[in-house]
Amino acid sequence: MKNRLKVLRAERDWSQQQLADLLEVSRQSVNAIETGRYDPSLPLAFRIAEVFELGIEEIFQREA
Amino acid sequence: MTNANRLRASVPLWAGLTFASFGAVMGLALSDAIDSTTAMILLIVPAALFFQTMRAANRAADNRGPCSAKGEAQQRYIKRVMVFSSAYLVAIALQVSLLSDSDPSMAARVALALLPAFAIIGVFWAIGRLIVEEQDEFLRMLIVRQALIATGFALAAATLWGFLESTGVVVHLDAYWWAVAWFFGQFVGALANRISYGTWGAL
Repeated sequence: MKNRLKVLRAERDWSQQQLADLLEVSRQSVNAIETGRYDPSLPLAFRIAEVFELGIEEIFQREA
Repeated sequence: MTNANRLRASVPLWAGLTFASFGAVMGLALSDAIDSTTAMILLIVPAALFFQTMRAANRAADNRGPCSAKGEAQQRYIKRVMVFSSAYLVAIALQVSLLSDSDPSMAARVALALLPAFAIIGVFWAIGRLIVEEQDEFLRMLIVRQALIATGFALAAATLWGFLESTGVVVHLDAYWWAVAWFFGQFVGALANRISYGTWGAL
């Protein structure tokens, strides 16, 4: 699964730590998700969508 | 950063020292240069160095971005491990002093044998609690992965050694060494996490 987390975070000028604090996860988690090493669970994906005020499908896309 | 601080933060240095001290203790124990009790006491050195390796690794990860505090579950885990490690040292000290000076009863010998065993089991329990209490799903996955790799490592080592022992190729090892192998396997698991996920994990 690919995601637009890094772009969306950069648009808001948030650091990984700021996003991690908003999501109540570790900075390592944000980094692992951003780099595509880890796919978040559905509850965490929903939380990410809420933080960015977007739909899940606008952040996460299936690999082509 | 001063040279001393750079050395203190060097993950390869601490990892190397962990490997070297573990190898040295195992070498001395397997060559009968030291007895098993001495070896069990000396193993606290690689265990402490492993903790320092993980601390340096986590500090290095934090330095790449803004600093983040350790989670509550991890802080509780560290406290629990410290309590059980201290209990282990006290239990071994009791065992050494009481077993060498006198000929205690069977009940006392059972108690002296069980004390360090329960201290080690306490560390297993602390890792189990960490898995239950860790709220960060990514870190929890890393801990579970690390523990599974450690389990595979220890079981493989025990199987190999057992068959080699049954054919008289290697010397007899007391079964508690497989707990030691499991702790060493934790280091292998942390290394695997670093390679696969770019982080050493939380243990």
